[in-house]
Amino acid sequence: MSVREISPHANGSRETSAKDARSIRLNVEQASFAYAASEQSAPTFTLGATSFQARERELVAILGPNASGKSTLLRLVSGTIAPLSGRVELDGQETSRLDSRTRAQRIAVVHQESPILYAARAGDFVLQGRHPYGRALHLASAEDVAIARNALAQVGAEHLASRTISELSGGEKQRIILARALAQQPRLVLLDEPTLHLDIGAQVELLERLRQLAEENKYAVVVVTHELALAAEFADQIVLLHHGTCLRVGPPAVVYQRELLEQIFEAPLDVELGPAGRPRVHLRARHNDHAT
Amino acid sequence: MEFESNLCILNSANTNFAKKRTAVPRLWRALFLLLLFAMPAHAQTRFARDSFGPQNAIPGSQPFTDEIGRHVEVPATVKRIVSLAPNLTEIVFALGEGDRLAGDTDFCDYPAEATRKPRVGGPVNPNLEQVVALSPDLVFATKAINRRETVDGLARLRVPVYVTDPHSVEDMIASIEHIGKVLHAEKTATPLADGLRERLSNLDRRIAGTVPRRVLFVVWTTPLITVGRRTFIADALRRAGALSVVDAKAEWPRVSFEEILRLQPEFLVFASAHARETQHDIDSLRTRQGWRELDALRRGNIVIVSDAINRPAPRMVDAVEQLARAFHSESFASQDGPSTATLEIAQEACACAR
Amino acid sequence: MRPLTLKRLLWTCGALAVMLLACVILALKLGAIPISVTDLVLNLGRIVIGRSDQLPTEYRLIIFELRMPRILLGVLVGASLSVSGASFQALLRNPLADPFVLGVSSGAALGSLLALAIAPELPLITPLGAFLGALATIAAVYFLGRRDGQLESATLLLGGIISASFLSAMIMFLVTTLSGRDLRGIVFWLMGDLSTPVPTSLRWILAFGLLAGIGAIYTTAADLNLLLTGEREAIHLGVDVTRVKLVVYVSASLLTALAVSASGAIGYVGLLVPHAVRLVFGSDYRLLIPASALCGAIAIVLADTLARTVAAPTELPVGAMTAMAGAPIFIYLLRRGMR
Repeated sequence: MSVREISPHANGSRETSAKDARSIRLNVEQASFAYAASEQSAPTFTLGATSFQARERELVAILGPNASGKSTLLRLVSGTIAPLSGRVELDGQETSRLDSRTRAQRIAVVHQESPILYAARAGDFVLQGRHPYGRALHLASAEDVAIARNALAQVGAEHLASRTISELSGGEKQRIILARALAQQPRLVLLDEPTLHLDIGAQVELLERLRQLAEENKYAVVVVTHELALAAEFADQIVLLHHGTCLRVGPPAVVYQRELLEQIFEAPLDVELGPAGRPRVHLRARHNDHAT
Repeated sequence: MEFESNLCILNSANTNFAKKRTAVPRLWRALFLLLLFAMPAHAQTRFARDSFGPQNAIPGSQPFTDEIGRHVEVPATVKRIVSLAPNLTEIVFALGEGDRLAGDTDFCDYPAEATRKPRVGGPVNPNLEQVVALSPDLVFATKAINRRETVDGLARLRVPVYVTDPHSVEDMIASIEHIGKVLHAEKTATPLADGLRERLSNLDRRIAGTVPRRVLFVVWTTPLITVGRRTFIADALRRAGALSVVDAKAEWPRVSFEEILRLQPEFLVFASAHARETQHDIDSLRTRQGWRELDALRRGNIVIVSDAINRPAPRMVDAVEQLARAFHSESFASQDGPSTATLEIAQEACACAR
Repeated sequence: MRPLTLKRLLWTCGALAVMLLACVILALKLGAIPISVTDLVLNLGRIVIGRSDQLPTEYRLIIFELRMPRILLGVLVGASLSVSGASFQALLRNPLADPFVLGVSSGAALGSLLALAIAPELPLITPLGAFLGALATIAAVYFLGRRDGQLESATLLLGGIISASFLSAMIMFLVTTLSGRDLRGIVFWLMGDLSTPVPTSLRWILAFGLLAGIGAIYTTAADLNLLLTGEREAIHLGVDVTRVKLVVYVSASLLTALAVSASGAIGYVGLLVPHAVRLVFGSDYRLLIPASALCGAIAIVLADTLARTVAAPTELPVGAMTAMAGAPIFIYLLRRGMR
């Protein structure tokens, strides 16, 4: 593995020509934000200027330990908050300036599971993804129904359509939630820690599906996670955050430097390059050090 | 998900059409609801407009002003009366017009014929339908017991309602005269009223010069509730030559027991329809801590008066006389009846046997 | 399950409306005085074509001046309370929410008590005082429940419960200090009472208020479905959550205020009718709102008919009937699992 000095703004100067042909979907340029209790008081948390880009069919992972600013960055990308400085653009338009209806048609956000109060059928739940396209009562048209069905098929959950959500397993629920996001027919799909409650098998399945979907539907996918191994395996780009600062942006092989990761995640790690050029991260538990 | 099988993939033109269709249901919904309400409401407004003419629709009616200042159109001949309070029922019977009473309340228990009349419910919440179904020419109500909404409701239905509002024994006698006038029964009303007034002035003469007794009228023992100054009972006590030790503005004031202990009333007065049971309750009071210290209880200066004391009707005067006898037994020494300290007035002893 | 279609929506509401009409006719028929259905329909027809002079006298007053207004009031109050209850259940994200949980009825009761204490002679003082008291409570709880410029469900619920407690304490204080006679009517009103004849103008206000309130809430029906899956999720699906919460809060509170001003606090209806409707028709608010309105109307009309007839000639307050029926139904729903 060749060690290169990577600046935070590295992007695809060495990428293959096939990748170059993809258009840049999401452009985050020196975006920053700060939370403060009031206008006069000092900020309690700051996200420093961050820049990265996501192309169509690309999966970007925003990686970092807890309280590193990942959620803030996600909210900037989704347009929920406007950056204090810099820009966040989706296909050339500022996400925070879009009206909520248009934004919902372009950006789909998948959050961690929130408790669903009333028994809803999975099919109706997915149909809610068509809400940004409806008017008045938002009664589902035939087209909406077809799109929802298609979304379910894409996550391999067509057979779950008539089931009540509360009866489903964690992985199945995750698929339904994802299907709802797909039903929005977005250009950008954002996921906030989607693998939290899933077992390893479901985690892998989810990320593989995300890659596949990105490829088929030309989405740009941005995943917020703290799972080092998964991000390494599936992301095209990593945005590495620590205490509100963006430390590195680049492909996993480039970003995963052992000393850096150990410092950020405060755990003894080993990084080695696996086949296909993707880094593998190993945990090196201290008590095992004596064995060898 | 079972989608309707006859769906086909729509092109964008049809999509627009589908979107437009969703805006229509709100309009239909509004129309639906409007229709649902409109029919009976329309029926009602038309009915109200068609059927009800101006105020003096009843031929040959006479205008009266009732005791709360309301204008009442009383028909020339009142054949059917409904009474909405027990005291009014008693007055109607006392005037000899019991035959004309078409209905009364569940609580009208005196005289005995009153219990056999058709019932319209309680005084506080009478069944308006029942009242209307009895086709009354005149309804009697009293402000102290009946609700304003009942009176307004009946008035809106063009049923004449005469409302009395007595606050004292004298007011009650005046009510008898008013009711007599409205029913064209002055021939019985005037002697009745005069007779009652004469009895009261006799009473005044008898107890003239005596010092008013300090008494406590006990409405309820725990909590201790007595009567305020603007009640019939307070007035009756005054006419009987007594004064309540508690002078309060509220109608049924709660008092602290320590205060009564400090005031040490000369007599304790209870009202009851069943003297024997009440005596039993009072006996148990003697053993209670605190109550034991009351002089009145220790000396046996307890008066159980008929519950007519709180019903503004002719029997109230009987109750006043009972009280006067109990408080100033020495002024009645020439009359029959022992002048012992404890006087339990049995219902049989008075002239108003049930 | 098929997604909600316009056809299903209209058919369901149509069927419920027919049921409501049947209950209304039944209620008109039953009472202290028996009336046959054919006579009833004939008389209704006579009125509509304008030949009211042909009506038999003894039925006129009873049907059109006593029973009909009362039943109509019951319909309006039942619909208002049920829609309000369903809306609060969505707004507060709590299946135990009912129209009174945010203190509106306590404020109304206090308002009418104060009005009676200050000016008992004015006509319509009770409904007016009640409505003003309700408005004041709505405003107070709104400001209590606000955070960062928008209503927050948990804070709103807390604010409402605290207000309700405080207002109840004030009511108890007033009841003990005021003279006993003034409050006799209040007791019936506090339990829920449809027997007090309400003037026609008030009923029209109630009807328009009901339509306006339900209409306003209905415009957010689709949004409420999304809101129930989470506020963040709803925002990302294009719902203007701040606006929706405000519209629902104000409309549902006004519906409660109107209902309570006209008939007192009739309990259980606003809580249970939405749940019963969910059990049968599902949780989609686009159907739940109109269905709750119609079923709530049916429930009150039936309860009031029972209240009028079960112990004739004594009339029970309708709130007592809904409580007696409501408790076992509540238990049944709990066991079925409130969904």
